[in-house]
Amino acid sequence: MVAPPLKARRLGRLTLELRQNLPAWKQAAFLTICLVFGIAVSVAILAAAGIAPATLFDEMIVETLGNADSLRAVLVQATPLILVGLGAGLAFRVGFWNLGIEGQMIWGGIGATAVVIYGIGPESLRLVCMGIAAGLGGLTWVLLAAWLKLSFRVNEIIATLLLNYVAAYFLFHLLYGAWQDPTTAFPQSVQYRSFERLPEIGFGVSSGLAIALAAVAVAFWLVQLSRAGFYMRFVSANPGMARVVGVPVAAVSIGAIAASGALAGLAGFVNVASQEGRLTQSFFDGYVFAGVLVAFLSRNDPIIAAVVGFLLAVLFVTGQTLQVFYQIPFTMVQLIQAIIVIAVASSEFLIRHRMRWTR
Amino acid sequence: MTDFLINWIAGIPVTAAPYALAALGLIISERSGILNLSAEGLMLVGAMTGVASCIVLGGHPLIALVIAMVASSVVSLLFAMLTVVLRINQVIAGLAIVFFCQGLTGLIGNLAGWQNHPIAGLDKWTIGPLSEIPGIGKILFIQDPVVYLAIPIFYLVNRVLRFSMVGLNLRAVGENPAAADAAGVSVALYRIAAIVAGSALVGLAGAYISVVGVKLWFTGMVGGRGWIAVALVIFARWAPWPALGGALLFGCIEAVIPRIAAAGIRVPQYLMLMLPYLATIAVMVWAGATQRGGAGEPGALGQPHVREERR
Amino acid sequence: MTIALTLTGIRKSFDGFLALDDAAFSVGGGEVHALLGENGAGKSSLMNVAAGLYAPDSGEIAIDGRPVVLAGPADARRHGVGMVHQHFKLVKPFTVAENILLANPRPGYRRGMAATREAIARQAETLGFAIEPDRRVADLSIAEQQQVEIVKVLVGGVRILILDEPTAVLTDAEADRLLETVRRLAETGVAVVLVTHKLYEVKRHADAVTVMRGGRTVATADPRTASTAELTELTVGQTTPLPARASFDHGGTRLNVGALTCARADGQVTLADLSFFVRSGEIYGVAGVSGNGQAELAEALVGIRPPLAGEIWVEGAGDLAKAAPTARRDAAVAAIPADRFSHALAGSLSIAENFAVGEVHCGRYGGWPLIDRNAMRRATAAAVAAFDVQGVRSLRQKAALLSGGNAQKLVIAREFSREPAVVVAHSPSRGLDARACGAVHQRLLAARDAGAAVVVISEDLDEILTLSDRIAVMSRGRIVAEFDRPADRQAIGRAMVDHG
Repeated sequence: MVAPPLKARRLGRLTLELRQNLPAWKQAAFLTICLVFGIAVSVAILAAAGIAPATLFDEMIVETLGNADSLRAVLVQATPLILVGLGAGLAFRVGFWNLGIEGQMIWGGIGATAVVIYGIGPESLRLVCMGIAAGLGGLTWVLLAAWLKLSFRVNEIIATLLLNYVAAYFLFHLLYGAWQDPTTAFPQSVQYRSFERLPEIGFGVSSGLAIALAAVAVAFWLVQLSRAGFYMRFVSANPGMARVVGVPVAAVSIGAIAASGALAGLAGFVNVASQEGRLTQSFFDGYVFAGVLVAFLSRNDPIIAAVVGFLLAVLFVTGQTLQVFYQIPFTMVQLIQAIIVIAVASSEFLIRHRMRWTR
Repeated sequence: MTDFLINWIAGIPVTAAPYALAALGLIISERSGILNLSAEGLMLVGAMTGVASCIVLGGHPLIALVIAMVASSVVSLLFAMLTVVLRINQVIAGLAIVFFCQGLTGLIGNLAGWQNHPIAGLDKWTIGPLSEIPGIGKILFIQDPVVYLAIPIFYLVNRVLRFSMVGLNLRAVGENPAAADAAGVSVALYRIAAIVAGSALVGLAGAYISVVGVKLWFTGMVGGRGWIAVALVIFARWAPWPALGGALLFGCIEAVIPRIAAAGIRVPQYLMLMLPYLATIAVMVWAGATQRGGAGEPGALGQPHVREERR
Repeated sequence: MTIALTLTGIRKSFDGFLALDDAAFSVGGGEVHALLGENGAGKSSLMNVAAGLYAPDSGEIAIDGRPVVLAGPADARRHGVGMVHQHFKLVKPFTVAENILLANPRPGYRRGMAATREAIARQAETLGFAIEPDRRVADLSIAEQQQVEIVKVLVGGVRILILDEPTAVLTDAEADRLLETVRRLAETGVAVVLVTHKLYEVKRHADAVTVMRGGRTVATADPRTASTAELTELTVGQTTPLPARASFDHGGTRLNVGALTCARADGQVTLADLSFFVRSGEIYGVAGVSGNGQAELAEALVGIRPPLAGEIWVEGAGDLAKAAPTARRDAAVAAIPADRFSHALAGSLSIAENFAVGEVHCGRYGGWPLIDRNAMRRATAAAVAAFDVQGVRSLRQKAALLSGGNAQKLVIAREFSREPAVVVAHSPSRGLDARACGAVHQRLLAARDAGAAVVVISEDLDEILTLSDRIAVMSRGRIVAEFDRPADRQAIGRAMVDHG
């Protein structure tokens, strides 16, 4: 007979239980604690890289939000972030990991630019045609991954991620070849004409923001008010059971996935048709994780996604400032995004489990 | 034509090794039931620390590879903490780690000025007179030490997984953690160890790309090979030897791309660069269409383990 | 008789839910001691404490009179306590020998494997089991898997053997064989704890019985002297007799299943040319050993598993074999699946949503652009009251917080919100206590009396015998025998195994 280990006798055991329920205020408290911790870690890393917290505060709040030009930049930056956040959230709502947002944005950009290059539609409706082509481009690209999943059980995480690379190389093929602007040596398409660029809606803000806010409203209606939104809740909560009680699981899923791709395509359209005014080789960079982050932090809720998208835009614009004036690489923004996601995901542990020492 | 073929085949091990090592590392951690999407990020860590060590040490590529392995293992402890201790969604955790590593390596590497800094790298070994054999000599007997080491590593991992108490416990933890727990195996310990050990190989794969392959480092240089390795594991049904076969297939494709252009054959180069990704998707489709659902997949893959669950 | 294991004052809670409250238990070497109680009485939790899997909040565990603290299951086994869980703790893709080596580690894989094979052969011979060490556990029958579990525990030199509901998954004949083995083990000096909710097993096979109710141990008695009525009273508190059966008066054929054939994705046939009919006002019971196609039959009937061939004809709606689940709901086919929280409810959604979802597609709660959540709440409140669903603090509360019985009542409320023409119920009372079980049975009988055709698929023969007007026995995806009421239990039991 072997005696039990001494440690167990002295310390007892740490036991872990699944919580049945937790009041909302406690959930919010755990979330806040973790978020504050994540922000503190980010500030510490920036301090180590040479940005004092006071400078950071000054750049982020005073310079970015208090300055009309910077605020305009934030609103421009928020537009695609809101769109990809909504898109990612819709797909997550039906349990589909759409990590192909960049690929779908690329096809959105290609679709819009194709309309420009081939002069499709009258000039007065050119922008509408471009938007539709962009939406269709993104939608087609995501449905390719959905088809691979449904027909061949190809994991959509892998499929959507790999299709990003395929789309990017196809874009390069166009930009270094047939679609290259003959007047420059850069890999970019010809400049759009004025009626092919999103007009301003006052305060120097592009109408892209109006598109994003309209998308928020439509997504809110779809998710919270419509029958499809009601069904989506069951598809993500328990698809097996949903089928038994008459939820059209396949139709709802494919619809949400398609909408997700279309929103990403629109984000691509907004980026090429407002900021750059032409197809470039980097208008989609970094939006996969931004989309995941917005959807994750907003718990797939459209209204919160708009708020998170705005805050993330503040971070992006501050990151650009730090890059220009303090030579901090822009990847810092990526690092901070990852830290925030890790912090918020960790709060799930406290919300779902209960720990205690026994004996 | 013969020269083209010999050069191509001789170039395969160098392009295949990162896929093979990364897939093997992922197999170790996924066999313990952890769905591991962190490979792309940990390869970036390996790639940067490998080159950084070479620059700082002024050479010593083999030591640099070991440092890269250690660095990846250390970063993987964060992934282990998220998935095993905090039991958060393993997809989210894996993605977060990838972006964390992208940000971290981009930040440190650029601040330290390691971007595009060429290094001597690791030389190939020429195995005496055997290397003089026409054709075969160049293919089999002029390769770098990591390629030669890869075969015994695969043999060893396969053996440990299948015929040792450690392997038995590890597989049990991945198939049915509740049963392993009841049998007295520490689920958390085995999972953490599997992640850390596997990540060392993933880091080696990343360092191989920078130190042995390209011989310099730039931001995001892994370029999706980590995701391809994840796909390779599914294709290989979580078994080491098929993963090596798959890695060689991808090595073939990747090795042929620059050689076609070099041979003066006119093909659209960016469309050629899509090939590895399209091939991966094709292989996944083939796997999905021919293999029975779930064969070889660890039973508890992706599921956190909590003992005290009220039923 | 020496006392082998003593538990005193054991308390254990799970996130505020008190599962064990001052429970006490003791068993001596050579004794078969039954632990009797209903589902949810705390039997398994108490034994999980004894086996080291759960750490108690307070209380004493003593082995051979010496107090011990168990650091985990392996530590418990070192102290000689081993448990065979109701849900086997076996690694399915592993072989028998690998499983046993896993639980009883030996230094050196190859030598350990050889020693394990020897030990298996020795134990198997003593117990009279035919166990092949190199077969994959996934390929074994349930009874064989249980034998592996018992050998696994005994190979480790266990002297206190806990069997959690060992007969629940066995046929009557297999159960008898197992209980004889248990007796022989006790004669060699092993202390055996037999966790069960079946009274007749206690009466026939146990030397002593401890009764649990609501997390407490309420009494210890001698089963040879205690009367059945006494023990029942101790187990369930007040007993409610089953309602007298209304006179049996059935109508024409309501449901006809003809030549139904189903197969799994890998091509293995699960339902082979299966045919039966059910009349209006009749309960048709489908009995059988678990895993003989019952789950597939239930899934085919409710429309989540499209059959390869055959018809499912419902009066007034025609052949629904290939119809979508919505079409079946429109034909008033009610589905009560076996596993409530995986197939009938979305635990993370609210009670109101779970109730209303059944009739959203037909527009009862608004059209597609706008759903009417107020109407949902009103309808749910009415149904919760009508079907006596307890423990509903708010209609927004998650369905997962309902107890098993109340969750089942909610499912029935949803499925019966329109008068059902056909009811498909799979193991409707599994895991429920006596009162909830009675309520569920009453609902099914009421549906029958209202003219529905009811199919009850259950592995619990008692449930089938209580409810059914006609009884079918399923084996290997076919119906191999049919019995009219009153049916002979022995004959049904024989039919279940003869073809199996």
